[in-house]
Amino acid sequence: MPDAGPQRQRATGGASQDAAARSAAAARQADHESIDRLTEELLPALIAKLGTTHLGELEVREGDWHIRLRRPYGTAPGEGRRSTDKPSRSQPGHEGHGHGRAAPEGYRGGRGAGAGAGPGGPSGTTAGTGAASASTNGTGGGEERTLDKSRVIATSPAVGIFQPGARAASGTRVRAGDSLGAVNVLGVPQDVLAPVDGIVGATLVESGVAVEYGQELIRIELAGSGSAAGSGPAAEAR
Amino acid sequence: MFRRILIANRGEIALRILRACRTLGVEAVVAYSEADRDSLPAQLADEAICIGPADARRSYLSAPAVISAALVTGCDAVHPGYGFLSEDETFAEVVRAHDLTFIGPPPDVLDRFASKEGTRRLLGGFGLPTIPGSDGMLRDDEHALAEAERIGYPVLIKPSAGGGGKGMRMVRTSRELESAIKICRSEAKSAFGDDSLYLEKWLDDNRHVEVQVAVDRYGAGVHLGERDCSVQRRHQKILEESPTPALSAEARATLAETAVRAVVSAGYENIGTLEFLVDGDGNAFFIEINCRIQVEHPVTEMLTGIDLVALQIGIAAGEPLGLRQSDVKLTGHAIEFRINAEDPAHDFRPGAGVIERYHAPGGPWVRMDSHLYPGYEVPPYYDSLLGKLIVWGPNRETAIARGRAALEELLIDGVITNIDIHRALLENDTFLEGRMTTNLLDRVGGAAFLAAAGARG
Repeated sequence: MPDAGPQRQRATGGASQDAAARSAAAARQADHESIDRLTEELLPALIAKLGTTHLGELEVREGDWHIRLRRPYGTAPGEGRRSTDKPSRSQPGHEGHGHGRAAPEGYRGGRGAGAGAGPGGPSGTTAGTGAASASTNGTGGGEERTLDKSRVIATSPAVGIFQPGARAASGTRVRAGDSLGAVNVLGVPQDVLAPVDGIVGATLVESGVAVEYGQELIRIELAGSGSAAGSGPAAEAR
Repeated sequence: MFRRILIANRGEIALRILRACRTLGVEAVVAYSEADRDSLPAQLADEAICIGPADARRSYLSAPAVISAALVTGCDAVHPGYGFLSEDETFAEVVRAHDLTFIGPPPDVLDRFASKEGTRRLLGGFGLPTIPGSDGMLRDDEHALAEAERIGYPVLIKPSAGGGGKGMRMVRTSRELESAIKICRSEAKSAFGDDSLYLEKWLDDNRHVEVQVAVDRYGAGVHLGERDCSVQRRHQKILEESPTPALSAEARATLAETAVRAVVSAGYENIGTLEFLVDGDGNAFFIEINCRIQVEHPVTEMLTGIDLVALQIGIAAGEPLGLRQSDVKLTGHAIEFRINAEDPAHDFRPGAGVIERYHAPGGPWVRMDSHLYPGYEVPPYYDSLLGKLIVWGPNRETAIARGRAALEELLIDGVITNIDIHRALLENDTFLEGRMTTNLLDRVGGAAFLAAAGARG
């Protein structure tokens, strides 16, 4: 999802069409926002939580949603291997609509003629989150969205200038809460923290660049996921 | 003039400032919280930057976040709007320390007028009639009791910091006073981080009248007439108009001239509003000054034809006022209706939700300042103001008639609104006769007020 280049795009059809699009989008907005919140805030928090406990499974309910997180297969007693638990209203097709809330993004640049921050639906930046299904278990299943969920993004804690630290180097093994760098706010560095245990992947913003609050900075490949191969990361999650 | 301004606010005022920037040919960057990502000002800005989470303490009230945002987006000035950081002299000072301009009074001027009680004494010294009040801040219960006794009950307990009617309480007896002070202290502490309180004489059946002034860096100042803000609920204004029906033309002119003379003498700079209580005999008592643009500024714009936000920006940029008092012409009558997401039938309980349908009224001399659009989600975290409907007419009767028509046309579906209370006000004899006082609504409550209007209609 962050690969999509989360730029908002101005709908080209003018104000009335924008309004219609917004109106239609509004109905799905609540769903998307719940999904976004689940995946961007709750899920990383839960993963970290699970890693610090001896529990095999965590489940959280909120409104119409529930999210269940299971420890990777074989790492906890009595754990199953299937990942059929999904948010009860998951709709795998949702990503196609492109009505998702924009993921945190770089502050929007000055708009040229007709381009820039538009009121229309942002361009599908939350693809896949509709069926996130909290599949952190190692079975993967080759689903794209599961792969997506094998990564968690460390985001900016503040608006300022980004400075990656030594632990931001790709391939570094980190634990939840480790500092990956800092965002400099009026001379005061604020730590960018690893949201989960895992392996540092790509750094999405260059050193010295201005970032906004919540902007995606560093990708963390989750322990136990397909992309962080091997049994080590799975054990790490414990 | 500035090249690029950071707007550190949200909602309708962020949009209003953005429009002023466009008119002036200045670029505008909107700083928004995560809850306002899809807001109209963030969408329409030349650039928008997320400064923090929904919690205002970590976004709109965070001086480091706002200033950092201004720096990384290449702004040379910060417009704080109203509320939030708009009258925070420390913020203004830090803004200046980063070679940015705070759009409002300079930090030393804000500092001079920071204490309401101190301001009352300062301007009282320059000839403004002031409301009787306590001698300085209340030190303890004993001091409070003695001062209340001296001033005479009823008295109003007021926090020195803040505004918007928060943390204020009127008491009629010494017994009430002690417990009310405890509540006010804790409210003021949590709302403004400052629990200093003072006392003011409470006038039953008072009217609220305020004078708009503008003073440049070079000491030239004008007043732009007054506004009547007597229609309130729980000390918060919901309808404002100008001219005030409470005073004669001569009394209005005298009040406004006295006000501008006093603030110029006291070294005020930029636009500001002096608030007065007016008693039943037409005596005006100064209570406080607001060193910022106010919610109800459009009322004055309609009468004068002067863009107050543009004027405010110009003064902050060091431009001369370019206006003499004789250039300020106050024409006709204007009324502003604050449209809030709140339920007048249930104690003005605030609401939130997604705007399903929205139609702003139009026609001649009708203005709607609002950040709403269909599909917009009104977040629950901030104040309940959805927009302001402003109408103008050559006289009060015509303005009221246009107000009725415009309120009839205004359509907001999806959240509860207070539109009905405005419709009821325009059918209320006390209001129609211009005799309203600040307790017009609170005396009976919103529900009873609506019911009375319904029974008549």
